[in-house]
Amino acid sequence: MGFLAKYIKTYWKSFSIAVLFLTIEAICDLLQPTVIAIIIDKGVANRDMDYVLKMGGVMLLITAIGAGAASTRSIMASIVSQNFGTELRSDLFKKIQSLAFRNLDKFDRASLVTRMTNDVTQVQIFVNGLMRIFVKAPLLAIGGLIMATRLNLHLAVVLAVVVPIVAVLIIFNLKLGFPRFTKVQQALDRVNGVMREYLSGVRVVKAFNRFDVEVAKFSTENEHFKEESVAANRLMAVFSPAIMLTVNLGIVVVLWLGGLGVNNGTIQVGHVIAFINYMTQILFSLMMISMVFTMFVRAKASAGRIGEVFAEENQLAWKDDVKSQPEEKGRIDFEHVSFSYDAAGGEPVLKDIHLSILPGETVGIIGSTGSGKTTLVGLIPRFYDVTGGTMKVDGEDVKHVNPKRLRDKIAFVPQRNVLFTGTVAENIRWGKEDATQEEIETAAAMACADFIESSPEGYQTRIGQGGVNFSGGQKQRLSIARALVKQPEILILDDSTSAVDVATEAKMKAALKKYANGLTTIIIAQRISSIIDADKIVVLDRGEIAGIGTHGELITDCLVYQEIYRSQMGQEAL
Amino acid sequence: MTKANEQRTTTPPGPPPLRPGGAHHRGPVVKPRNFKATLKRLWEYFGRERKMLTLIFLFILIDSVIVLMNPYLIGKAVDAMSLKPGKVDFNFLEIMIIILGAAYLADAVLNFLQGWLMAGVAQRIVKGLRDSLFKKLQKLPVSFFDSRTHGELMSRLSNDVDNVSNSISQSTTQLMSGVIVIAGSLVMMIILSPILTLASMITVPLVFLLTRTIAKRTSVLFKNQQMQLGKLNGHIEETISGIEVVKAFNHEDKVIEEFEEVNTKLREVGLKAQIWSGFLMPIMNVINNLGFTVVAIVGGLLAVKGHITVGAIASFITYSRQFVRPLNDLANIFNILQSGVAGAERVFDIIDEQEEPVDVSHAVQLVNPRGHVVFDNVSFGYRDDVPILKNVSFEAAIGTSIALVGPTGAGKTTIVNLLTRFYDVTGGRILLDGRDIRNYTRDSLRRCFGFVLQDTYLFSGTIKENIKYGKPDATDEEVKAAAVMAGADLFIKRLPKQYETVLAENGGNLSQGERQLLAIARVMLAKPSLLILDEATSSIDTRTELHIQKALLSLMKDRTSFIIAHRLNTIRDADCIMVIDHGEIIETGSHKELMAKKARYYEMFSSQFKNAGA
Repeated sequence: MGFLAKYIKTYWKSFSIAVLFLTIEAICDLLQPTVIAIIIDKGVANRDMDYVLKMGGVMLLITAIGAGAASTRSIMASIVSQNFGTELRSDLFKKIQSLAFRNLDKFDRASLVTRMTNDVTQVQIFVNGLMRIFVKAPLLAIGGLIMATRLNLHLAVVLAVVVPIVAVLIIFNLKLGFPRFTKVQQALDRVNGVMREYLSGVRVVKAFNRFDVEVAKFSTENEHFKEESVAANRLMAVFSPAIMLTVNLGIVVVLWLGGLGVNNGTIQVGHVIAFINYMTQILFSLMMISMVFTMFVRAKASAGRIGEVFAEENQLAWKDDVKSQPEEKGRIDFEHVSFSYDAAGGEPVLKDIHLSILPGETVGIIGSTGSGKTTLVGLIPRFYDVTGGTMKVDGEDVKHVNPKRLRDKIAFVPQRNVLFTGTVAENIRWGKEDATQEEIETAAAMACADFIESSPEGYQTRIGQGGVNFSGGQKQRLSIARALVKQPEILILDDSTSAVDVATEAKMKAALKKYANGLTTIIIAQRISSIIDADKIVVLDRGEIAGIGTHGELITDCLVYQEIYRSQMGQEAL
Repeated sequence: MTKANEQRTTTPPGPPPLRPGGAHHRGPVVKPRNFKATLKRLWEYFGRERKMLTLIFLFILIDSVIVLMNPYLIGKAVDAMSLKPGKVDFNFLEIMIIILGAAYLADAVLNFLQGWLMAGVAQRIVKGLRDSLFKKLQKLPVSFFDSRTHGELMSRLSNDVDNVSNSISQSTTQLMSGVIVIAGSLVMMIILSPILTLASMITVPLVFLLTRTIAKRTSVLFKNQQMQLGKLNGHIEETISGIEVVKAFNHEDKVIEEFEEVNTKLREVGLKAQIWSGFLMPIMNVINNLGFTVVAIVGGLLAVKGHITVGAIASFITYSRQFVRPLNDLANIFNILQSGVAGAERVFDIIDEQEEPVDVSHAVQLVNPRGHVVFDNVSFGYRDDVPILKNVSFEAAIGTSIALVGPTGAGKTTIVNLLTRFYDVTGGRILLDGRDIRNYTRDSLRRCFGFVLQDTYLFSGTIKENIKYGKPDATDEEVKAAAVMAGADLFIKRLPKQYETVLAENGGNLSQGERQLLAIARVMLAKPSLLILDEATSSIDTRTELHIQKALLSLMKDRTSFIIAHRLNTIRDADCIMVIDHGEIIETGSHKELMAKKARYYEMFSSQFKNAGA
């Protein structure tokens, strides 16, 4: 959890001030029962009204000081915890954005989001709690013990018995409770799992009429969850009254001993009342401490998860930006490139890829699922670094190039449509921040996104989260428009026309040819028809190049290509 | 647990209750639409638990009375020490102490019983609620699932149900005991001394005024904070799940900038909300102590005149504390209850959803149909104002294959949805073996269809269990035979545990092609009379498709089949091809016939194979 050091350095002063005020507040709280005891013993018992008034004033003063301290502490705590939370969240976000895919792949995306949201909040709440009550509880417990003991040593014997018993009860409570609640959480996860599965597969369930099985599966998990929760809650039902009873019986004993003391004249009545007050105060503090433990465990787990992200180091390195003007813009060379996702000698996804793509060329990549097409193009913008061989763009080894500068030249349309909340125009403008309306419209026209103009709000149409209000084909065309507005040197389309019908795709390609001359284009496709007129077609098979050439060349001498062609065009097509 | 105890301990003036988080992190309260009606319905829903709940409430009632008596008893015990200075009335003290001890013991036992029983009751209620929700989901039409996101439904099943459980087990008991303690304390205070009661009431309006002033400010701030938090979380979700694009477009700095903007706003609002709500407790403390001082002064005066004993003053202070404290908590508890009721309302919303209509009374079981399908003037729209299919009529002879082609949104999938009664026609009728499909039971009708969809759905479990999904009593031999026929056996055998391989959620550890082969094996084993292939191979590369195509062909043999496909080559062997556009059939015929016609199908086909020499 070393990442916290930075924040400790920034905030320890404010934190200490908050804790100082917290201590003042606790002392004021602790003084109150004593003052009350004095008021009763000296004022009320002696019918001394002046004294009551005077001590009443003292008491109000103490309360006011306490309130002042509490308010200051509250303001300090709010400032520290809010600033800390904001900064931590911001640092984590920057860290995530700065990481390479090889780092990011270690985490589930959903889990990264949870770390950013829940875990940060969890830690923030704990830090805030530290300055509000978590430090105060032990202060009050210890202070209460001291004050009570000072008040009367004989009565304090009761505390010496009660406090350890309560402490043992709390420890048992935690020891037995934690694993129970972990089990409850696991059971709940399983209930949710069955649920999620049912929701995703509802058509299949309906088609096969398997309601009874699903209901039975759910019922079993639900029953299990119920059992675990009942067991956990019943355990809690034992401890809470037990702790209360211990302290309350202590009060009864104090009353009896107090009675004896008053009779001897060794104890004053007010002291007995004050002592009982301190006992309840100590009880509350002890309860609070057990709560602090729970919070601490939770916050620690969260901090651990955040720490994992901070511990990642971006493995992409580059030399100082050399502003060399490349001779050939848009040239790509794969020189005996191999790659595996597990850097440490894992199963290679690409093997000895040797391939040159010349400026202005259109290259099609085809091959079955898992043959390494997406991985291959992912190397060009340095989403990943090669594990063997050299990857060159514009004649420069990409390992020496700042990824930012590299990616500026490249426009990438991913397989999965990713659109962001905002208007259509804002989304297209992602490609080029200062794009004029005209540029946007040109890009949209090239991408055949004519549906934009026919919609009532046109380019100002809002896109919901994930683009829910657009069809797959429309989202793909928006993604393409976003890439085109960038006016890149290199355009990569990763199977990004699968939901666009064939006629539209043909129109799009014609538009590209016309407007974007000189643009190096790489198209991954499932359909041969999408790439049939490419300058070069690369056939990938199990991470290796099975053939490079034009359609005419491949159809005669590449077996894999022939097979693909046959599967799409029918047997007699050859 | 402290919350429940706060009201129970005998607490003469002391520090305010300590609660982690407490008021400081509470978001805005979600208010139910109809609080009373939902609460009443919830009560009725509890059914057989009602007796148990009544018993628990009885325990709470008795316990609250005991808790109320305790300060009085302590006061009496103190009186036993202080009535005559220096002389303690031990007989009286002894009696008081025994009574007090017994009261504490009874309090603990009642508390324990109440907690123990409540744990069972609350969880049973929640389990029942979950079960009936899930059962309800089985009866809902597909349209229900199509119109809601999974996240939304998941949150109803887990968050909302949890909310109901919390409000039952926590807030109801706390609310009850809180009300009793407040009322009881007031009564005890009046009994002890009406004058002192009046004196201590001076602070009550102050407390109300303060709480309202601060609450007014903070509720707006908290709402605002929640809004900013939602915005921020949305931004995080979007930029992290779409990080490929962020990086590809070098937009890291821009998204960080956007993030900072919302994050800073959140900090500002959060800070204000926290500071304001942080004032509440300290000020309350001052007011309470002010009240105490007034009581001490007035009490002192009364004691001087001999109107009241010292013990009575001590108990009075305790009661006035008890009176104020739950008052603060009650508002909090009421909020929890409200959000619980709002959760219950959302749960009931689903329970009230319209179910798939029950089968007509004269519906018959459909067994082994021959597969003669007729669409007779069928019209349909998911919404009344947007017709999807308009007067569609066609006939599928027994054992033939019908291909549906046409642009996205033309209504191809709708035809399939109607055939299987995921939706019912709004006009016309569909006949299967000469009988309106609405006259068959829905279950038996669907059982006759086999589906291979674009998104295969596999359940967590072993490969074997997944293949057996449509026929749970199948033997291992049958499973293997089906897998061999589907061409899935080859890859299954390569897996380390073969048929016993456990699949991750939705078969995440298999490739798309392998998943599709499993789905086909599943249908193969179920041996349906009719077959529906909805874009069954569109997400698979064409080489894998070759294998699957073979499997599909053997599946289609002698079965009336409906095929929807983007790639036209996959359907050229169909007996009959129907071109659908804008909800109407515009062309029908075999591949050859339609090609010869040189109309729409010809256009679509040749554009797909343009330049390909087909």
